[in-house]
Amino acid sequence: MITRRTALSLPLALAAAPAAAQTMLAAPAAAPAPAPIALVMNSGGASVSVIDMTSRQVINTLPTYREPSHWALTPDKREILISDASGNALFAFNPHTAKPLGHVRIADPYQLGYTPDHRYLAVNALRLDHVDFYDATTLKLVKRFNPGKKPSHLDFSPNSRWSFHSLQGSNALASFDLTSLKMRWRVPIGNTPAGVLWHRGRLLVCIMGGNGIVEVDPRNGRILRGQATGRGAHNIFYDEAGQRLYVSNRLGGTLSALDPVTLQVQRNYRIPGGPDDIGIDPAGRIWIARRFAEEVAVMDPATGDYDTIPVGRSPHGIFLSTCLRQTGEITAERL
Amino acid sequence: MGLDRCFSIIAGAIDQHLILPVLYRFGWMEWGDLSFNWALVCVYGLFAVILTYAVCWPLEAWRPVEHWPSRKAVLVDIFYTLLNRVGVIPVVTFLLFYQVQTDFTGQLVDMGFIPPTLETLIPGLFGHPLITFGLYALILDFADYWRHRLSHSFRAWYALHALHHAQRQMSFWSDDRNHILDDFISFLWFFAVGLAIGIPPLQFPLLILGLRFMESLSHANIRLSFGPFERLLVSPRFHRLHHAKRAAGRHSCNYGAVFPFWDMIFRTADFSAVWLPTGDAKAPEALATGSYLAQQLTGAKMFAAALARRRHT
Ligand SMILES: [Zn+2]
Ligand SMILES: [Zn+2]
Repeated sequence: MITRRTALSLPLALAAAPAAAQTMLAAPAAAPAPAPIALVMNSGGASVSVIDMTSRQVINTLPTYREPSHWALTPDKREILISDASGNALFAFNPHTAKPLGHVRIADPYQLGYTPDHRYLAVNALRLDHVDFYDATTLKLVKRFNPGKKPSHLDFSPNSRWSFHSLQGSNALASFDLTSLKMRWRVPIGNTPAGVLWHRGRLLVCIMGGNGIVEVDPRNGRILRGQATGRGAHNIFYDEAGQRLYVSNRLGGTLSALDPVTLQVQRNYRIPGGPDDIGIDPAGRIWIARRFAEEVAVMDPATGDYDTIPVGRSPHGIFLSTCLRQTGEITAERL
Repeated sequence: MGLDRCFSIIAGAIDQHLILPVLYRFGWMEWGDLSFNWALVCVYGLFAVILTYAVCWPLEAWRPVEHWPSRKAVLVDIFYTLLNRVGVIPVVTFLLFYQVQTDFTGQLVDMGFIPPTLETLIPGLFGHPLITFGLYALILDFADYWRHRLSHSFRAWYALHALHHAQRQMSFWSDDRNHILDDFISFLWFFAVGLAIGIPPLQFPLLILGLRFMESLSHANIRLSFGPFERLLVSPRFHRLHHAKRAAGRHSCNYGAVFPFWDMIFRTADFSAVWLPTGDAKAPEALATGSYLAQQLTGAKMFAAALARRRHT
């Protein structure tokens, strides 16, 4: 079995030798880029489907332990980590080729993300009511919080001072100071908060027990305004290129496109089959994991039409390797 | 379209149009991530009931062990089956114990224990989910053998389990007739096992369904043995011997649920080619022919009495 050390050897090597790392990072640009792939986390199938984005065919299915759900790119973008909550593990893959790079055992990882300064890997353990901060290079636990019930989604301020976590079972939003690793505040936010996104100096939080999102002041957790999107607003994504926000509405079975400034809904797309996480390809098409349908839908936002690709059971998170061409921070929410 | 995908779509529709609206209406959306799994449990459970009925009913009509003038005593078993298989009891148990379970597991994790899976204990299993599943099935069946055997060994525990044995008209509906406290003990038992070896991979619901089908079949009122395979899988004849009147109580045989291996290894197997009447002569009549509530109440009283007697002696 691959150990904690070898599985994540690259970030370790990079941390040890930053100068060498830069030349290593520059190298792949010269080699021909591998064909773009999509990785789909089949949470009910204990597997990751690898899709050739050009032919739209599943070309490989890779095993995990039990329940892969979400992903994070390592700071050097050389590994994608996929969380497996009931398998108590993080699985590492090459994000360009999907080559398995081993796994590490950590408790109940659900949603996860590296702080923008690459110091910590923050992990929400939804089932155990833990918010865990791991050292980004060694993956040793640095600090554990029990801020409330069912921590689900998370995001950070771009200056890495603060983190924000929705507490799905406590109807609250919690924020931590990442310098002192102390809780800053915990405020009631609405029934069953889910997706969290830092957006233009504010926070946007989906209210799954309600019918839309709220905008929150990150300094104190005060709610500034609300915007209706659809019943059961679940997750929120930001399209870097198109400057659009997307909100998936679980009960409404829709994907809402929002103006990033006014937050007004511009269009609602009907997506049957339990839409979950999304990815956006360079042509602007939206790749949507559809939980019940066991498919990925590839939708043209101009027409709302979509093709489907059958994947495994209960597809949850989705990663498109085309996002690796972007510079700067890449997370599951900033596409 | 595969059966699996078909079931997922049905479960998705149930979740979307039935469960989620209820959760939403009452402000319980925090369960919205799990409700699809509940719907799946219900859909597979219902399919298992239909499948069992479709296979066992004609067989019971064709080669019954016993002919009954009235099938009234079977009705309550049908109720038990629906309650258990179509998800009511499993979901309620899950919800009741959710917090206890997470708090307890959280404490263990705080102490540095990360619950393993069989693949972390035996790394060679990783990437072979079918073999892993088979191994889980064996281990869980082994654990169930001992749970069942112990439930016959302790007076108070058998006071609960007697409900399962009281049925004199045993049929393929009888597998789920258990006292609710007995169900809770089973839940805790398998939670403990889960902490030690993790939960099995869940991508083979049809196999899980097959195992449950075997448990129903083993109770069926069918003159059926598996011939040369009698020592590989528990047959109706094998389990009927466990339910025989003479075997009720503390000295029984054939405790295995799916595989007879454990009975063979621990010398409790009886492969006699006989078809004996079932029931527990010592059990109060309410346990045999009473309503669901009467059975539960009687079982609870017997349990309390057995506990009290233990304290006095
Ligand atoms: Zn028994
Ligand atoms: Zn039985």
